[in-house]
Amino acid sequence: MVQTLYDFKRDLSKRGIFLSFSGPISQDLMVEMGATLKQKMKLEDASKSSVLRVFAMVVENAQNIIHYSAEKYPRKKQNEKACGGEDPVKCCESEELSLGIITVGYEEGYYFVLCGNMIENEKVKGLKEKLSKLQGMNKDELKQFYKAQRKQKPDKTSKGGGLGFIEMARKASRPIEFDFKKIDEDLSFFSVKIII
Amino acid sequence: MEQLNIESTKFTPEIKFHPDSNTLELKGRSYPENTAEFYEPVLMWLEDYVEAPDDVEISVNVELTYFNSSSSKVLMNIFDMLDEAAKKGKKVMVNWIFDEEDETIMEYGEEFLEDIEYLAFNLIAKDDGDDQ
Repeated sequence: MVQTLYDFKRDLSKRGIFLSFSGPISQDLMVEMGATLKQKMKLEDASKSSVLRVFAMVVENAQNIIHYSAEKYPRKKQNEKACGGEDPVKCCESEELSLGIITVGYEEGYYFVLCGNMIENEKVKGLKEKLSKLQGMNKDELKQFYKAQRKQKPDKTSKGGGLGFIEMARKASRPIEFDFKKIDEDLSFFSVKIII
Repeated sequence: MEQLNIESTKFTPEIKFHPDSNTLELKGRSYPENTAEFYEPVLMWLEDYVEAPDDVEISVNVELTYFNSSSSKVLMNIFDMLDEAAKKGKKVMVNWIFDEEDETIMEYGEEFLEDIEYLAFNLIAKDDGDDQ
């Protein structure tokens, strides 16, 4: 392992990736990663608007991972046990960590944000349809769709506003790329790439 | 009117009601982990204001330098509430304040403006360097 770490680092560089994190993602981690990312991009003389866009993409993706990753630690059953008789739902929400991957890179003159996390197989179809729909929209259609979604009454079951991917599609310079890889009977790995 | 006093953090704005000027101020960055939970006291405060029979004129100053998509949804929710109140005759005004060089925040303001009907919604560009 120790002999191959450099290969791993070089592999990231070959893909243009200059910032990466794989593992449990928390709000605090995202905030600090975002701050360092901004600092790095400013030092590279990136324009103010690209710094903000890339930062915003990292925030949206990290919060998607935090809210929706199917890979959690500790797994729910373990956590309920650790909580004893207390409200297991509340306890799980505050204690659990969500796992995922966040990377930021630069290739062919564009910054990109490439992220991934596990999702439940039954959610694949819906998400694929949503993202395919966004891929087919132009900037004006995206704007109208964003505004229509934003006007909807808040959905109590959704932890976010349901606007994250539309926001990403609007800020991207090319359609969002995505992929689903079936891992087993329950889970798939979802990857998404936003070119800014 | 009720007190409202929320201090800012790295990822949540300062939210204060100043009773002397009847101004509600939201200032800073907004990307909480749980947006609905964070804004709940603000929405409750606004509901009280909207339902109060007395006719106090208030200003809502929004000066955010960054907000995530779920905060955008909450802001729309707040402006819809105030729009409804304005329709019923409440005297309320929103000032959307942005750094004059920050086109992104200006454009967000314009898009909110497009989506409200009765509420006075002012876009106010602020001179950079004037503030700190």
